Amino acid sequence: MSIKIHNLTLSIAGKKICDSLNVEFKPGECWAILGVNGVGKSTLLHHMINVTETCSGNIVIDDKLLSDYRLQRKLLAQKTGILLQDYEYNFPCTVLEAVLIGRHPFISHWQWENENDIEIAEAALISTELYDLRERSTATLSGGEKRRLNLATLLTQNPDYFLLDEPTNHLDLNAQVNMLNLIEKHVVANNKTAIMVIHDANLANRYCDNVLMLFGDGEWASGRTRDLINAPTLERLYGCSIRSFTDNNETVYLPA
Amino acid sequence: MLDVLTGNGSALHQTLIFELRLPRALIAFSTGAMLAIAGVLMQVLLRNPLADPYVLGVSGGASFAALIAMLLGFEAAWVTGSAFLGALFSIFTVFILAQGQGGWTISRLLLTGVVMAAGWGALISFILVISPPDKVHGMLFWLMGDLSYDRPLGPGVFILGLGLLLTLPLCRQLNVMIWGEKQAASLGVDVKHIRLMIFFLASLLTAGAVSLAGGIGFVGLVVPHFVRLLVGNDHRILVPASALAGAILLIWADVLARTVMAPMQIPVGVLTAFLGVPLFLYLLRRSK
Repeated sequence: MSIKIHNLTLSIAGKKICDSLNVEFKPGECWAILGVNGVGKSTLLHHMINVTETCSGNIVIDDKLLSDYRLQRKLLAQKTGILLQDYEYNFPCTVLEAVLIGRHPFISHWQWENENDIEIAEAALISTELYDLRERSTATLSGGEKRRLNLATLLTQNPDYFLLDEPTNHLDLNAQVNMLNLIEKHVVANNKTAIMVIHDANLANRYCDNVLMLFGDGEWASGRTRDLINAPTLERLYGCSIRSFTDNNETVYLPA
Repeated sequence: MLDVLTGNGSALHQTLIFELRLPRALIAFSTGAMLAIAGVLMQVLLRNPLADPYVLGVSGGASFAALIAMLLGFEAAWVTGSAFLGALFSIFTVFILAQGQGGWTISRLLLTGVVMAAGWGALISFILVISPPDKVHGMLFWLMGDLSYDRPLGPGVFILGLGLLLTLPLCRQLNVMIWGEKQAASLGVDVKHIRLMIFFLASLLTAGAVSLAGGIGFVGLVVPHFVRLLVGNDHRILVPASALAGAILLIWADVLARTVMAPMQIPVGVLTAFLGVPLFLYLLRRSK
């Protein structure tokens, strides 16, 4: 049981994102995908669950080729889910209705959500501290509340592999930590897999045990966080000089 | 009235109800319902609550073809058929032109449709200018939406039934689609397939409505919007509720159109706009 990426070469608009990428995301692991803006982190993340894209190399989810899920999209959606960078809010509904769409892959065609689905959704609202807002319109939510709503929807979907595209976007410092604590508590601690694109190397350092770095031009590196997150590697990754400080046995990296 | 329904009324009343009033009410019913469902679908397709069924030029193609048929002196049934063909032509043209490399984007679809609609508008003006004056009145009535003349009822009811039958099973997927195509895809929706279904269903329903009754405005915009405010954005409720509300609105608008200035009839499209414009502006102000 894992997402296995084997010999994946991915290019978009003539730019190589990764060249012969080999990596395996296992249960209980928390991964960070790091790289500069536009290097293709999100593209790679989306590619991992896109059943229609063709590529060289292959992606295997729970011992089955990604493209073989083409006729079992709901099954794939029970295994994998994604927190997107942006959502559309043109059609406001209540917070509870919004998170209930996470149950879509589990409900058969003619069925409506049942008590069990609503319980799961309410539990997700409780853990994201949105329960008191469950009857509120999504149009009235703040940026931070929307981000928690997005996570609550994903928790309601409750897949085995959580793909997170910049989960800390739009969040203040405290909310960033709360968000990652939630992911740690509900995903990693439940032996599920979290794979997040994130721009803050320090948060990656604190929360993720594994890192995939994309350097551009198809170069990549993957491994344990403690082996890869250090000043020289980050300097190469971000193309700027890095200073580091150590406090309470935790090293913090800042651009010089 | 009761006598007629139990089969005891006079021949005149029988004729009046079964051959004039009932068919006309049924046409109003199905046209209103088709426009309202098409409006809901178009709003989901373009992910914009202010989209209406005519925004992609379907009605323009239908109107142009209907006007040509009227100019050539065809009968009502042929005008309806011609309008339907014109609508289909417009639908497929927009569909093919909007496919760029890598498929649609919403903005390309919208722009293609809007430009097509503008082109049809110019052609319609041209026809109106070159037509003999005795035909222009009928044409203007048609363009404004008109239920007053005799027309075949069957095809409209059939398209409404087919449209409802195909739309209702999609409703939960519509609920997911309003969050964006990436979100829908990640929840197991076959986005390309659903997008095509929505496009063709909305277009077919619009084509049906426009061919039956001409360019009745505002039903397809105001009714879904109004019903969204009342019942929320769960499409499993929204779609049937909008269909019903559109049908009822159009029946009443038609009653008013027949009676306010009797014996003169007003095009029902003018009345729906009279009702629709202030209602819509009020809702828009309130929603901010």
